[in-house]
Amino acid sequence: MLKTTGVTALIVLAMMVSTGMAGETYITGFMQGLYGGGLDANNPTDAEMTASEARLQLRLESFSDAAEVFGRLDFIYDDYYQPNYDWELREGYVKFRLGSKLDFKVGRQIITWGTGDLIFINDLFAKDYRSFFSGRDDQYLKAPHNALRGAYYSPIGTFSLIYTPRFTPNRIPTGERLSYFNPMAGTIVGGEENYFEGRLPEAKFKNSEIAARFSRYFGTIDAALYFYRGFYKNPVGLDMVEMAAYYPRLYVYGASLRMPILGGIAWLESGYYDSRDDTDGDNPLIPNSTVSSMAGFERQINSNLTANVQYQNEYMVDHDIYAANLPEGSMEADEMYHLVTTRLTQLLWMETMTVSAFAFYSPSEEDFYGRFSVSYKYTDALTLSVGANIFDGNYEWTDFGAFQKNDNAYVKMTYGF
Amino acid sequence: MKIHRVLTVFAVVLMIMAVNGKAQDNQAEELMKKAHLALFYAGDDGAAEVTMKIVNSKGKERLREFTMLRLDIAEGGKQDYYTYFKQPHDVSRLTFMVHKIPFETDNRWLYVPAVDLVKRISADDKNSSFVGSDFTYEDVSGRHWSEDNHTLLREDKLGDRDVYVVESIPKEEYKGFARKVTFIDKEYFLPLREEYYDKKGELERIFTAEKIENIEGIPTATLRRMENVQKNQYTTVEFTSIDYNIGMMEDIFTERYLKNPPREFIK
Repeated sequence: MLKTTGVTALIVLAMMVSTGMAGETYITGFMQGLYGGGLDANNPTDAEMTASEARLQLRLESFSDAAEVFGRLDFIYDDYYQPNYDWELREGYVKFRLGSKLDFKVGRQIITWGTGDLIFINDLFAKDYRSFFSGRDDQYLKAPHNALRGAYYSPIGTFSLIYTPRFTPNRIPTGERLSYFNPMAGTIVGGEENYFEGRLPEAKFKNSEIAARFSRYFGTIDAALYFYRGFYKNPVGLDMVEMAAYYPRLYVYGASLRMPILGGIAWLESGYYDSRDDTDGDNPLIPNSTVSSMAGFERQINSNLTANVQYQNEYMVDHDIYAANLPEGSMEADEMYHLVTTRLTQLLWMETMTVSAFAFYSPSEEDFYGRFSVSYKYTDALTLSVGANIFDGNYEWTDFGAFQKNDNAYVKMTYGF
Repeated sequence: MKIHRVLTVFAVVLMIMAVNGKAQDNQAEELMKKAHLALFYAGDDGAAEVTMKIVNSKGKERLREFTMLRLDIAEGGKQDYYTYFKQPHDVSRLTFMVHKIPFETDNRWLYVPAVDLVKRISADDKNSSFVGSDFTYEDVSGRHWSEDNHTLLREDKLGDRDVYVVESIPKEEYKGFARKVTFIDKEYFLPLREEYYDKKGELERIFTAEKIENIEGIPTATLRRMENVQKNQYTTVEFTSIDYNIGMMEDIFTERYLKNPPREFIK
């Protein structure tokens, strides 16, 4: 599952070399056990547990005047996957400055931008939904990119450019620990015979990913424009000849605003998803172009309770053409998709106890996803958490309905050092 | 005629009393302003390493270590704060930035490096605890003196120090306290002790400046303690490696440095 590429090997080497030169070096990390069980006896997966893993993360940080080097390396024991022992370089990058206006970050890195809370419109950096759905820490929602990031700070705003030479897809449930909806089977599947991998675009220059952003402040309002050139991050295209799922080409143009208002923070974001392999919208095996928009608001209810709400919709640009070309008997997606979410976070006992709930609900697809967790910091080093991921849906082919058999509850223990 | 004269005398007496009271209020307000500036606006900017110890009612200790940078945009007015967390492990490398604007809502940003997330934080409630301690956000960055009415209660001694004792009552109803008594050092004008009383008039929290050191010619409270007497818990804050007037630039307090901590200021 986890591969050592030449790039990461080079980065590790670069890190070791520059660590030798650097002024100060720190090593920290944590150990963690995560065990989760499925709550639905009908889940068609082979694995009985949704998670059963022990993890050691080592963080190495080193900086000098010239550069900063950071590495985060995970060693994992998982009693389901073969081999049981594995490792992954989560981050390994060098950060440096050229002149006074240019910042660079080169190597394996986690990248996030945009304004939404767990809703991503212009953030097309890889997510790890397998981690997200099974109770791993928030830091595992993002999968690393091997990328070159540059930022230019000019008086009119900040230009950021991220170049990912090899397309980096989302990590989604593929039938191993978590089941998924297979459109060819027409049902939710799991188990060894149903494992699948989307076919990645060839490793060519034209198949690289480019993400750009221009951002600036107008008083206390931060505004940004975005551009992405790459591919859908999930294998949503279907190649009928080879009977394979693949990642169709995608351009995204977007904008966002975020501002303090009414004692809280409000955000607006929108993006046009230009489906480059189906510009006419008449190919039912490739998603149509859409316009996705959201609005959100967060504020404190009292000193220890924070709440937010978000609304998102997604408008299919050529729905008529899409509907006309849909094969007989297919599920027809609505012209407009709606999603509302809410998050509640309550801190207790001098912030040593955190109770959190996050709910997604789509009235148009009639599905639901709830994330619930209680986490207690027994000491600064030791944290105990329990949580649950609950899915529901009236249809098996919707975003969250597809995972409705993956309901799970987990316990997690973390010891930091 | 007689009544008229009595009224005149009465009015004059009232005016004298009012002027007198006003003068004393002015003196009390001036003292509180000086104390505020001495505690929160020392130098034009400042950097310090901070160790925070939070002790709960069962005696259990928690530690937070962070670097704190501050820049005064205007003396007694706008200020920028930058915090780089080192300990405990779950917040290590996290950065936090505040643009404080007196009488308005602060602008706050949090950067979580593990997910590369810049989050703007709704900062409506300044009485929220600062990182789970007995200090609130407002205790960290100060409450503007003009938000309360001040009265000089007396001049007194606190230990071996001569102090002014000033009582402050919020002009508008306020969650943080209903009444506050501040003991201001006559020489340094630093608040040596503050007593916070709740709506019922009961003592809720006590702030004490436990250690005053001369740092680069500026008297500085290097060990501070906030005790919540009602909850029987306390927090101490120790400042080390303090440096004033280092010529910090305003752009340190922007998203660029939020994501890329200014290593030259972090010990």
